[in-house]
Amino acid sequence: MTIRYKITAAFSALVLFALGALVLSTNVSAAGEGKITGTVKFTGTPPHERPIDMSKEPYCQKLHASNPVKTENVVVGPDGSLEWVVLYISEGLSGSAASAVSSEKPKWDQKGCQYIPHVMALDANQHFLVTNSDPTSHNIHPLPKAGGGNNQWNKSQPPGAPPIDTSWPGEEVAIQVKCNIHPWMHGYMAVVKGPNAVTDEKGAYTISGVPPGSYTVTAWQETLGTQTQKVTVAAGKPATADFTFKGK
Amino acid sequence: MRLRFAVASSRKRALLSGFLLSTFTLFFFLVASSTESGAIPAFARKYGLPCSACHEAWPMLNVFGQTFKDNGYQLMNDRDSPIWQNPSYWPATFRITPHWHRESVNTVSVDTPAGANAGLSRISSNGFDLTGLDFHTGGTLYQNISFYVLPSSDATGAFHFETVMARIDNIAKSSWLNLKLGKYELDNIISEKRILTISNNGGVYHLYHFIPPGDSNIWGQMGDNQLGMELMGHSVNDRTRYSVSLLSSNDGTVGLPNRNAYSGFVTASQAFDAGYQGGVDRIGAYYFGGVAPTTAIMSGGAPILGVGNKGFNREGVFGLLYVKKLDFQIFYQHGSDSAFFGTSTPSNAPLPAGARSPIWNGVFVETHYVWNPQLLFIQRSEFIRMSQQAMAGTDPRLGDVDAFTFGYRWYPIMFSRAGFAWHNEYSVIRQHGTAPTGGNLASSSLMAGFDFDF
Amino acid sequence: MRTRSATRLTIFAVILLTALYGWGQETQSSEDQRLNLEAHVGKMTGQARVGQPIYKRFCIGCHGPLGDGQGENAQWIDPKPRNFTTATFRCRSTPTGTLPTDQDLYDTIGRGLVNSNMPHWLPLTNHDRVNLVAYVKHFSPRWLKEKSGTPIEIPKEPEPTADRIKVGQTLYQKLECWKCHGVEGRGNGPSADTLTDDENRPIRPFNFHDSEKFKCGTADWQMYKDFMTGLDGSPMPSFVDNVKPDEAWDLVFYLRTLQPMNSKEKQIAKQLGLKPIAGAAQPPANNPQ
Repeated sequence: MTIRYKITAAFSALVLFALGALVLSTNVSAAGEGKITGTVKFTGTPPHERPIDMSKEPYCQKLHASNPVKTENVVVGPDGSLEWVVLYISEGLSGSAASAVSSEKPKWDQKGCQYIPHVMALDANQHFLVTNSDPTSHNIHPLPKAGGGNNQWNKSQPPGAPPIDTSWPGEEVAIQVKCNIHPWMHGYMAVVKGPNAVTDEKGAYTISGVPPGSYTVTAWQETLGTQTQKVTVAAGKPATADFTFKGK
Repeated sequence: MRLRFAVASSRKRALLSGFLLSTFTLFFFLVASSTESGAIPAFARKYGLPCSACHEAWPMLNVFGQTFKDNGYQLMNDRDSPIWQNPSYWPATFRITPHWHRESVNTVSVDTPAGANAGLSRISSNGFDLTGLDFHTGGTLYQNISFYVLPSSDATGAFHFETVMARIDNIAKSSWLNLKLGKYELDNIISEKRILTISNNGGVYHLYHFIPPGDSNIWGQMGDNQLGMELMGHSVNDRTRYSVSLLSSNDGTVGLPNRNAYSGFVTASQAFDAGYQGGVDRIGAYYFGGVAPTTAIMSGGAPILGVGNKGFNREGVFGLLYVKKLDFQIFYQHGSDSAFFGTSTPSNAPLPAGARSPIWNGVFVETHYVWNPQLLFIQRSEFIRMSQQAMAGTDPRLGDVDAFTFGYRWYPIMFSRAGFAWHNEYSVIRQHGTAPTGGNLASSSLMAGFDFDF
Repeated sequence: MRTRSATRLTIFAVILLTALYGWGQETQSSEDQRLNLEAHVGKMTGQARVGQPIYKRFCIGCHGPLGDGQGENAQWIDPKPRNFTTATFRCRSTPTGTLPTDQDLYDTIGRGLVNSNMPHWLPLTNHDRVNLVAYVKHFSPRWLKEKSGTPIEIPKEPEPTADRIKVGQTLYQKLECWKCHGVEGRGNGPSADTLTDDENRPIRPFNFHDSEKFKCGTADWQMYKDFMTGLDGSPMPSFVDNVKPDEAWDLVFYLRTLQPMNSKEKQIAKQLGLKPIAGAAQPPANNPQ
């Protein structure tokens, strides 16, 4: 019985290997600095983002007294642009473009009882820094999905504490980050393979460092879900992929 | 719990002790038909544990269940006090066993119908039947205050109090001090109330009730629940345990004019971890002895005060041994009654010439093969041998008992809300010289039925 | 026509069965692999395979047949039984985010968890408990890929002094323990009502006045370990990066003064006339940037 299993396994391995070789041979030579750009829009009535009551943390309440912070579940600009959308290449990447880990060390700051940025995209194993700019303690408690290669942890970061330098070993879109002391604080870290981007307040994004080739781009928004689009990047010519999320 | 019907139990008494001449006979029969303790789905419900957590096989306890009991029905997890329960939680459970059984006795005096069958005959009967109902309530009144109340009925539905007790647990935060008062089972690690064999013949440990033929001491049955007060203690993991009981010598008969007679029960045991293949093996010893009345002062034809106290004692050792899925329960007893009891002589009358204390020795070995918590095979062999008869001329083997029981229990469900078992058992007992002919009296039980509580 | 479709059906069935067979083999082998997990405590070696029947006898009612904390009684229990499939454990000697040691799990089984339904399982043999540890590990594939974390160092415990208790109290204010545990340690801080565990279930912070025991043991060193490593899965974070060992002991001594039983620390606090901390009465004045 195990023999049959082994034969099946060996055969499937062979097929996979052959397929892999085929895919590799088409893309490996095509190195270049392509780009995927675009904007993400929102149509329909955006959900009401409520002001956050920070009265349990007097410092933060005072800080935002004149301009209360609102929740950031769906952040839509006046022109319908959608902020905090993660864009990454879900299919078509291979070789070094897929395995490269950005050496950039982004900062995940806790400031005014908010996460700055609210959403961050990272490569697996890319290091990032968690900092606390507030004169109050935060506990940083990322909650990856169980069994997905990342493990939850929970660390206190009192005012003036040194940054926490860490990384995520597994791909995951996206890991929710919580502060239990300030339950309104929440953000997401999207851990992906290869080049990625997050839309700015104008809904614009640029994924750079993409070798020429055909790809599937996925856009992920924390409450609206995902969308995909196929694009082809040619050498020296950025591809465009615009997305539109519909409200309910 | 045991399957003891009024009829069956009177037959058993006849088998074991012959006819009882005491003036207390009437009172004795009032308590004879007893069914007892067992599993409490009420506890399983309270804590969310499956039956198997506390029971090797329901109703027999395992070491975890024994610890739970010794802690006063507490897991010691800060959730023992009833305040943690939903207010609608009621710590109660019922147990009953509808079944079919066949009973056979080799020699019975028969007077009707006259003719060929008159005289002595083998009598076999079979049919569907019910046991009595056990209505258990027990648990904690508060953290470290426990109780247990068990009204139990015979098969006709007539109730009596089998167990009524309250207990203060962990006095001075010490597991070594627990005080209990009421009517309760003696601290027998091999508990007859949790026996896994339940047929008429197999449902008792004969050594727990043995009375030599002609002996009138019905007060010293360590298998019957007794009225008294118990101090017990144990180590946190229950490996070491002891208990001391002061008991009224009335065999647990409520309201009996028994004053002035007390007996005591003392037991201690030590358990050991038996490594990867074993469980928690235990060895221990017990002593049960004291004085009990040999006669009574009568008024208007009714006994009003037991008098003429004479002594009795039962002592021995026991062991629990676990080897993989097998376990053995071994029990030894040395017993003796005063010559007054042995010859059924009131203490104010002269003893017959040459009367001595009857003395006997007995042993039983019960084996369980626990295939898994839902299927268990049982075997028990029990032997009682008279070593000294009350009268020198008596057949030295009169009253010797051989008893064998085989069976299995299958639990189709194993969860925390109810217990349900299919039970099938065969049991045979033979006693030397107690048949009406003077020959051996032998009887057998075959039973099969549903044993359940909810 | 009829025979052709029959043939086609047969071929399809054969392919399907083969695929299922292979798949079954594969999942079985990963299960097999996990059932080969061992646990090492002292000189004892526990085996998941041996622990399996013990788990089924004792643990299944709450933790469930799949070890996901969804036993038949889980719905009635609060706090909920631990989900072993995520391998996230409160009581560890290892840093936050890492797997506990076998000894940690063994100790938890032997100790039980205060303020929960989990009793201590000391009546079981040591070997039963170490076998249970191995079986509990088998529920998560993490144990195949990862090693247990390295236990944090716990230096020798100093003598409690008045100064240490005062420093401990300052730390209680400074580290903002009171945000959840309250200024008096009664578990009623400003954030207490909104706390949730990692599965978004409400959870209460510990009330120091309530119990002599802690979730992960009663000894001072266990208390030290609790806040240094954090209680993973709960809102309680790890402080090991920002609290020096000496300070940690000070905090332990201060927390002892809040507990109901009499202790050396409590007497010192009485002599000092220690008052509860001010909490948020004085919000920090400095404004960064």
